[in-house]
Amino acid sequence: MLAMDQGVVEEWLSEFKTLPETAISSYASSLKEKGSLVPALYKVIRENYSDLLEPVCHQLFEFYRSGEPRLQRFTLQFLPELVWSYLSVSAGRDPHCSGCIEALLLGIYNLEIVDKDGQSRVLSFTVPSLSKPSVYHEPSAIGSMALTEGALANHGLSRVVYSGPHLQRETFTAQNRFEVLTFLLLCYNAALSYMTSSSLQSLCRLSSRVSICGYPRQQVRRYKGINSRMMVTSEFLVQLITGIHFALCNGESELGSKALDDVLYRAQLELYPEALLVGNAIKSSLCGAALKSNKEGTRSIQVEITPTSSRISRNAVTSLSIRGHRWKRHDAVDLGSPDELMEISEVDEGICTQPSAQGGSPPTIVVSNATTAVSGKLMGKGLRRLGGSRSSKEKEKEKEGGADQPSRKQSGNRAMSENLELLSLKRLTLTSSQSVPKAGTLSLSRTASAVFSRSFEQVSNALAAAAGAQQQPVPSNPVASPTPNHHHFSRENRYSACSLQEEHLSPIQHHQQQQRSPSISLHLAPDV
Amino acid sequence: MAARRSGSRLEGEIERCRGENQWERIPELVKQLVAKPLQLDDLSELLLGEAKLQQYLKENPIKQGSSPRGQRPRLAEVRKHLTAALERGNLKPDYQQEATLLMGKLCYVEGDYREALNHYSRVNLDEMQLVGAPVYRLSMIAEAYATRGLCLEKLPAASPSLSSRPADRDQEILTCYEKSGDIALLYLQEVEKALSAGLQNRSPKPGPVSQDQELGYFLETGLQRAHVIHFKNGNLTRGVGRFREILRAVETRTTQNLRMTIARQLAEILLRGMCEQSYWSPLEDPPPQSPLDDPHCPTRSSRDYALSRRPRVYSGEKYDANRDAVLSRIPEHNADRVISLQSASVVYDLLTIALGRRGQYEMLSECLERAMKFAFEEFHLWYQLALSLMAAGKSARAVKVLKECIRLKPDDATIPLLAVKLCIGNLHWLEEGERFAKMVVDMEDKAPEFRAKGHLALGLVYSLKATDASLRGLQEEYQRKALGAFQRAQSLSPTDHLAAFYLALQLAVSRQIPEALGYVRQALQLQGDDVHSLHLLALLLSAQKHYHDALNIIEMALSEYPENFMLLFTKVKLETLCRGPEEALLTCKHMLQIWKSCYNLTNPSDSGRGSSLLDRAIADRRQLNTMTLPDFSDPETGTVSTHTVRDSRIRSVCSTGLRGSFLISDLFRPAGHAFCDHFPRRRPSTASNTLCMVCSVHATSIAASRVEQALSEVASSLQSSAPKQGPLHPWMTLAQIWLHAAEVYIGMLKPAEALACTLEAASLFPLSHNVLFMKGQVAELRGNTEEAKRWYEEALSISPTHVKSMQRLGLILHQLQRYSLAEKVLRDAVQVSSTAHSVWNSLGEVLQAQGNHAAATECFLTALELEASSPVLPFTVIPRTL
Repeated sequence: MLAMDQGVVEEWLSEFKTLPETAISSYASSLKEKGSLVPALYKVIRENYSDLLEPVCHQLFEFYRSGEPRLQRFTLQFLPELVWSYLSVSAGRDPHCSGCIEALLLGIYNLEIVDKDGQSRVLSFTVPSLSKPSVYHEPSAIGSMALTEGALANHGLSRVVYSGPHLQRETFTAQNRFEVLTFLLLCYNAALSYMTSSSLQSLCRLSSRVSICGYPRQQVRRYKGINSRMMVTSEFLVQLITGIHFALCNGESELGSKALDDVLYRAQLELYPEALLVGNAIKSSLCGAALKSNKEGTRSIQVEITPTSSRISRNAVTSLSIRGHRWKRHDAVDLGSPDELMEISEVDEGICTQPSAQGGSPPTIVVSNATTAVSGKLMGKGLRRLGGSRSSKEKEKEKEGGADQPSRKQSGNRAMSENLELLSLKRLTLTSSQSVPKAGTLSLSRTASAVFSRSFEQVSNALAAAAGAQQQPVPSNPVASPTPNHHHFSRENRYSACSLQEEHLSPIQHHQQQQRSPSISLHLAPDV
Repeated sequence: MAARRSGSRLEGEIERCRGENQWERIPELVKQLVAKPLQLDDLSELLLGEAKLQQYLKENPIKQGSSPRGQRPRLAEVRKHLTAALERGNLKPDYQQEATLLMGKLCYVEGDYREALNHYSRVNLDEMQLVGAPVYRLSMIAEAYATRGLCLEKLPAASPSLSSRPADRDQEILTCYEKSGDIALLYLQEVEKALSAGLQNRSPKPGPVSQDQELGYFLETGLQRAHVIHFKNGNLTRGVGRFREILRAVETRTTQNLRMTIARQLAEILLRGMCEQSYWSPLEDPPPQSPLDDPHCPTRSSRDYALSRRPRVYSGEKYDANRDAVLSRIPEHNADRVISLQSASVVYDLLTIALGRRGQYEMLSECLERAMKFAFEEFHLWYQLALSLMAAGKSARAVKVLKECIRLKPDDATIPLLAVKLCIGNLHWLEEGERFAKMVVDMEDKAPEFRAKGHLALGLVYSLKATDASLRGLQEEYQRKALGAFQRAQSLSPTDHLAAFYLALQLAVSRQIPEALGYVRQALQLQGDDVHSLHLLALLLSAQKHYHDALNIIEMALSEYPENFMLLFTKVKLETLCRGPEEALLTCKHMLQIWKSCYNLTNPSDSGRGSSLLDRAIADRRQLNTMTLPDFSDPETGTVSTHTVRDSRIRSVCSTGLRGSFLISDLFRPAGHAFCDHFPRRRPSTASNTLCMVCSVHATSIAASRVEQALSEVASSLQSSAPKQGPLHPWMTLAQIWLHAAEVYIGMLKPAEALACTLEAASLFPLSHNVLFMKGQVAELRGNTEEAKRWYEEALSISPTHVKSMQRLGLILHQLQRYSLAEKVLRDAVQVSSTAHSVWNSLGEVLQAQGNHAAATECFLTALELEASSPVLPFTVIPRTL
């Protein structure tokens, strides 16, 4: 240790002692300016046998006890180094055990486990509930939730204790060692964003060393020093990982990712599910962009502009549409608002216009060989949704879909182009688990007629009723469709939630609709 | 079709189309418009220009981060329209402004930023009317702000239109974006309003409308660029503030995606960049400076709120994520699936980080379970679910999920190891465990430390199987296999103290005491303060009858592990042997004190969901109490409530004097024994390491397994943040303490006190065979052979393989001169535990009484031999877990 460093530390020791109560806060803010002090203190802590260690520890404790947050953070920044120093000494079972470091650690622990009134501190947080409004949301806007038992059980905010109460500890024993250290790291993690990068580096080194000492990986990391294994607990590792996560995102990506790997390695060997869980999550959430953008070592977090529109194409079956599906089938009470369904807006219909040409491997279930009632819904929504617009793309699609359909019409139910059929079959594979019972088919096709009568506005009411009856092709609006005899048929025995949902909007309105939107497509409802 | 409509109606239609982004319809409508005699040429030029520009942008969307390209023929057409509209100058001022704004946008799209700025400077954006403006105009203004910000960013600093100082410039850019974002939100809300109004009176078809509500490039930029800049500048405070502003805007359908993104990003920021101390609640004013160097220290309440905040962000997220789950496995949707999987797994990862550091594994496992709809063939999600189930103590399900993980990633040694850990720990599924362990061992190319772990696991499985086996041959076979596996593990990883320790334990179980001592020393050299090694060392010494050394070791171990009950139980035994029962009683008293201090800390919260731990524990205890066998009758406890029984017991214990005053009454002052969350991580589920510490037995009768089941349910519902030591349920620990005290009293020939202690234990676990056995012992001490016999029989009916009861029953039968029955019972006992020397001894006596002297000699010799190597407590007391 250089004489200069020693001088700095000694000055620091004497300065605080003479400080009057009132000057503490200004002193705390002036600490930052002493650039050489912190490295000098690190040196003192690392050299276990330094004469200065004891007064330094004492003074650090005084800082902590002062209650001034900046002084407390000044002490806390040395915590990883202190913990390492303590652990390495206790692992070496050194007779000159560094009692003052132990005392400092225990002192901080005993200060932190009680609140101002001397009561045991219990750290808790509230688990928010979606069913209660908050500054960010109203429950109604998120859509209705099923009134299940589970939902009721989760109703209301519940407080969850995650730490505490803790017992006062007079000495370290093998039993309470990691309990105390875990809690200390918890305190450290609570002040993470005030920690200097040297402190974060020290935390990463601590994590690495604790994890790999005595294991074959120690050679890989080329760390020499203690080579006996240290016991750890899962909670301790989780706290370490929390700190590493912050370091990783705030400029210590290299050391941090090494440390994370080491901790995960250890967690694997010890088979600690908790540490593995959190570590894996961090690893997978960080892989990619976030790490890259931080290479320059700035302590900032990058956020990118992300396209917000949903990129899910409309004929993908989502959990949402499945959910809607189920409502109908069981004739359950209609809880959902139509809004929920509408928001799957889609960008790329490229996916549905060029289906399965190359991906034409046979679908797994071939149910619908024209005899069974089951057949997929043919992009019903997709075609219907066009409204007044007639972009060239849409027309193409129609042609493509409807080109060979007149002939198919005669052949009864098989009124679909092959592509579309394939598509619908594939969709079928999803829902086939609940295949349609015969009885249900009939009622379903009735609802179908209701949908049609409304969505093809040129059809008179009488016609719509007729359309509902059986298998009758309904001519579409001649203005809207490119040629009158290009009809679309979709065999709607199976409805997606979307089409069913629309039905609930308001059947009354379809008169007004007639005036307005010239619509295009045409649906055929074959029955069994 | 093209029916004549009145002018105002047509204008309304046009406005609606503009508001709803139906640009395709504009030209047609304009045609109708032009046909009218009104002076609308300029307006139609404007409309056509706008429509074409928008159409162009729709078909060639600008990608984030890329600069717009230069001129295009289609844009030139737009320019023509717009210039035409502007030049004649007879537009209404509103339209004039619109045209200028469109011009600016056009310039930006063409890449002429300076020109764009010039256009914008012609219009005073700040003074444009927002209230009551048509919907489309809001969007236009928002876009204008965003475009202006973009232009400012793109232009070099020294731009004439700006003040020279960069700080001001940055500020101006930020203001532009923020305004743009706010107006964009307003626009979206207005659209929503119009839409819902439209639903009621105009448009019965919301489908096409809502589908078109995609934010364009400009609006997205406006909404998001501001906070991106904040974070880029390292200004977390303002960035987070901006996030919150956006999130607090009234939600609309269109913004849901945006909100999801923002919420996720906010969560990321909170987790990665902030800590509890630097957090401030959204309801407070943000700290004046950046939190990074800011002394702002939140009050307690805000911190609580802070913590609550995080998960809230997620749970909102959670919901949204679920909604977009693309379930489809159709190949066409693969791309979609990947996207939704990515965003979902990001959300779930963040949730894991947040809940994991708070130890809320139960909640986490429930959430992750909901993620499983994404999880087909996705290893990460499966693995995370398995880990969370494991951490939440749901072992059986965890094993099932781990199986799937193994299928998905067959070369990862950790997964089967985790499965073995569960199988041999709580579940006691030894067959499954063996399969998993073999899987690990068969992975040849693994690093030695993992292979060693595999052999260790295999060894443990065999060792446990040997304990369970009822046939002698099978037992020896398994013991041999276990030894082999441990030796293998030890040679593969010589620095692993566990390998050496289990090797020693296995040797000890097969009574090779000196070899065991060698290995346990080795283990202690590797890991000096391992509690189990120390315990084993003490037991080995006691097997060599070095009781004082053993006691010293135990005391040394206790100085490191003062609250370890297993060590304390051994200490009681040893003290009885070498210091007399008085000392042992003191230790029992000490144990009661420790028990109180460990478990009496109240847990003020409801952990997990709903009911508190305390309630649960009490409820479960009631369940246990009411669960009685039909033939179980104890007039005392049957009529009096347990609490009064306890009180009377305590009084009687106190009055009879437990050597000094045994002030236990204050142990039980609160009606419920409140205890904190110190619960066993290694939840013992088999009788062999829980209820009957004294004998290694696996319960086979239904009643015993029901007790077990109830207990393990309690234990599984507890958090896993427990000290590793003391793998006993608190109530079992307490019962054990009482039973040990009773045993000491029996040794002192004091039946009354012994009975008092036994009844204490009985009030906790009336159906424990240990309690019944102890009652039998007391009865025997009182000379009441018939009663004793009844107790032993009851104990055996609960746990048919309880060796001690068998031995005592055999002796009583012997006294009653029912030799052949006694011999049968004792032979069964020997079958169960071939190393119990007292059983061999009793068997010898019975055989002798029957006149079978040769066999009796055999038995006596065996007993003698075994006694020479028998520890004070069976070696199997030491838990065998991974």
